[in-house]
Formats: sequence, C-alpha cells, structure tokens
Amino acid sequence: MIAFVILIVKVLLLIAILMGGFAYTMLLERRLLGFFQLRLGPNRVGPGGLLQPIADAIKMMLKEDLMPASADPVVYRLAPVISAFAALAVDAVIPFGAPIHVFGLTVDLDIANPSIGLLIAFAFSSLGVYGIVLGGWASQNKYSLLGGIRATAQIISYELAMGLSAMGVLMLAHTANLEQIVLAQRREGWFWLPQIVPLLVFFITMIAETNRTPFDLPEAESELVAGYHTEYSGMRFALYYVAEYINLITVSGLWVTLFFGGWLGPGFLPPILWFFIKVGIVVFLFIWIRATLPRFRYDKLMSFGWKVLLPVSFLYLLGTAAFVSGVL
Amino acid sequence: MWGVYLVGIIAVLAAVGVVAARQPVHSAISLILNILALALLYLMLSAEFLAAAQVIVYAGAIMVLFLFVVTLLTAGKEEQEAPEILSGQRWWAGGLSVAIGLVLVLILAQTPSSGLGPAGPVGTLNALGAALWGRGFPYLLAVAMMLLTAALGVLVLNRPERPSRSSEPGSER
Repeated sequence: MIAFVILIVKVLLLIAILMGGFAYTMLLERRLLGFFQLRLGPNRVGPGGLLQPIADAIKMMLKEDLMPASADPVVYRLAPVISAFAALAVDAVIPFGAPIHVFGLTVDLDIANPSIGLLIAFAFSSLGVYGIVLGGWASQNKYSLLGGIRATAQIISYELAMGLSAMGVLMLAHTANLEQIVLAQRREGWFWLPQIVPLLVFFITMIAETNRTPFDLPEAESELVAGYHTEYSGMRFALYYVAEYINLITVSGLWVTLFFGGWLGPGFLPPILWFFIKVGIVVFLFIWIRATLPRFRYDKLMSFGWKVLLPVSFLYLLGTAAFVSGVL
Repeated sequence: MWGVYLVGIIAVLAAVGVVAARQPVHSAISLILNILALALLYLMLSAEFLAAAQVIVYAGAIMVLFLFVVTLLTAGKEEQEAPEILSGQRWWAGGLSVAIGLVLVLILAQTPSSGLGPAGPVGTLNALGAALWGRGFPYLLAVAMMLLTAALGVLVLNRPERPSRSSEPGSER
C-alpha cells in the first residue's frame, strides 16, 4: 500500500517537475535567444520576465480552439495527446538521482526500473512521431501534411543512428538498465571518453529527433507556415509545445545518463542536483545551437543521416563489440 | 487475470477496426493499437524484451512507414469504394475467417493451459540473446539471409532499365 502511495506521489512529482521544466526551459530559450540576437527577449511580466510562462499558459487556455471544417475530428484531437504522452512517458525510466532515504524508507528516484530501461525509453520516444504525422494529416492542409511527412522520414532515418550509437554504452555496461548503466560508470569511469564518436552522433540525432534547428524542417516557417501544427490553436497547440520541450529535456537526460554518468558527481552536492545541472548544461547547448546554425536542406539532411551518421556509428559499434568481446 | 482478457479484447477490437475502417489512416491507427496491445500481452507473459522490440520495430518503424505512404496517398481524396474485381470475395473472406476462428477456439479448448508464462527470466535481454545467438544462431542467420535476399530482390526488380546498346543512338562512338 505504502509503495503504491509513493509511486503515485512520484508520478505526480515527475509530471510537475517536467511541466515546470517545460515552462522555464521555454522562457530560458526566449531570453537566451534574445541575448544571442542582441535584444532583450521577454522581460516585462514579473521580475526579469519570470512570470511570462504563467501569462502564456493563461493566454493559451483562453484562446479559441479552432478546427478546420475538413479535418478528421477524432485524429485531429488525438494527435497532440499522443505527442505529449510519448514525451512524458519516456521520463518514467530515467533515474534522476541515487535512491534516497526518507522516514526509514528507501525511495528510488525513478518511476520504473525495468531491466530493459533503455529500450523502453526508445520504444516510447519512437511513438512520439505519430502525434506529428497524424496531426499533419488530420489537418487536411498541404503545409501540415508536408510537415508531417518530413517529420516521419527524418525521425525514422535518425532513429537508426541514435539506437546504434547507444548500443556501445549498452555493451560496455553489460546491461540495458539505466540505473545499472549509471552504476557501471561509477566503477569504470564515465563513458564519454571511450564512446566519444557515438556521443557526438547521439547528440546530433537528439537534435533531429526533437525537430529543433538545424533539423526543424517539419515546421520550417519560411516554407511550410508552421508545418504540422499550422492549424492548431489554443491548448492543443500548447500540447505540441509541451511535447517539444519535454522531449528536449528527456533526450538531454538520456544523453547525460548514457555518457556523462547520470547523477554521479562530487559529494558536495546531492546526486539529483548534479543530474539537473548536467541536463541544464545540455539544454543550454541546444539553445546555443539553435541560435547559431541555419536550417539544413532536406536532401543534405537525408544523405547526412544515412551516409555519414549511420555508417560511422555502425563502424564504431563493431569496434566496441570487438573491444568488449576481447578480440582486439 | 482480468488484465489479460481486457488487453485481449482491445487487441481483437483493434484488429477488427483494421479491416472495418473506411479510411486507410484509421486502419493504420487501429493496427498500431493492436500492436501495442500485443506488446502488453508479451509483457504480461514476462517477455520484456520481446514487448519492447515489438513496439520499437513494428509500432516505431514499420507502421510509421505505412502511415508515411498512406497519408501521401489519401491526402485530400474523397472516400469512395473501388469496384470489386472478384465478386463475392467479402462473403468468402468473412466465412473463412469465422471458420478459422472456430478451429482456433476448438484447439484452445482442447489444450490445457498451465498458468501464465513460464517461470524464470526467459524473456529478458540476456536470456533471449543467449537463445538467439547460441542455440538458435543458424535460424537467426537463415532469417537474416532471407531478409537480405528480399531487399536485394526489390533493388534488382526496381532498377531502372538499362537502354540496350544497339538502340541507343550515338553509342557506336
């Protein structure tokens, strides 16, 4: 019974943390983009603009919810929910910190700790693309459809390289359990050095999977108005934004867990803070890249994914396999 | 136990939805639901890795490609029925599927079940890996060769036709 209560509390806390993380990641991105572009960014609502997310949330909730007359009503309503669900579900298996002891109870800082945690994370994140492609199709708008189709091809192509680049870590740690992967890094050193190439490949595919600049072709505003979410407004539009930013936080957490020791760190700060600090640094990197790089051309994006990232990560995987099995 | 029935009912309803839906995209969504329900069933049978692989491979990759094609084909098209080429094929298909279902139910009724799933960690990554790469390696190799052959076959069948040398003007040079 007490375990069930703890589980419910953990789920609610995780959702609260992620929603708060979403709101303030978005604010951080807007302020930082402002600074990168030599302007101020939103700074009027509250001290330093800190209440801006709340104002945005109220605006989104009060906006009229529009649906095109020719849209498929069920799929149109379902699509943003799929996106948000897939984004939130991945976080259930990511360990946020070392188990803590409260009131004589040991509480793991993750919702679930399955033996195949990494694969569960990939399974849920691979479902996220349905929200985009179904939303684009259900809108019955050519720009939405093109955005959805671009997203499908892009995510399928980059998912392969992403999975292959995570395999090396799996081999080095001898497990697919994310907590065990973190503990293996405490024994053998963080995996970023032995896996330096997969680390870079994983980072690039992370940007592509979250559809962010320079891989934001599904919503390229100079060609497709807003891509797959052109027709969405109000809370449904907000759900797509929630999904995008939570995906950003999630893949950052996954990257940190796989290559940078997760919640490990010197003892003067609690493990959960180390995890948040590392994730924060990665999120900053994401924003920096968005402010710096222009968008890819679509054929270059495809040939880069299939002809560069995939062979490179595959070769490095073979090398890692040879190393782990003792052939080398 | 009721969980198995619930997921089973969802799986069957979704499977019916695949053939009953008028709109191809709705069929695809039903199929995805069916795949997810099957993954849940695998999970209940303690085949964790199989469940994850089912979702990653079928729901995450193959159905996405299906949707890619289906959304392209049905964009902005009116729903209309193509004329049937084989007359009465629906009746035949319906009758045959009911007959197959009856046979399956009969076989199930005669086979005593012994609890849910085998005991022990048979469905984990290590157990499945040991089975596939150890004892079952020849079969894995055979399946891999078969898939490779199919992929090569598609490439060969779809290659652009090479213009024959005699008909091409200027090829004598």
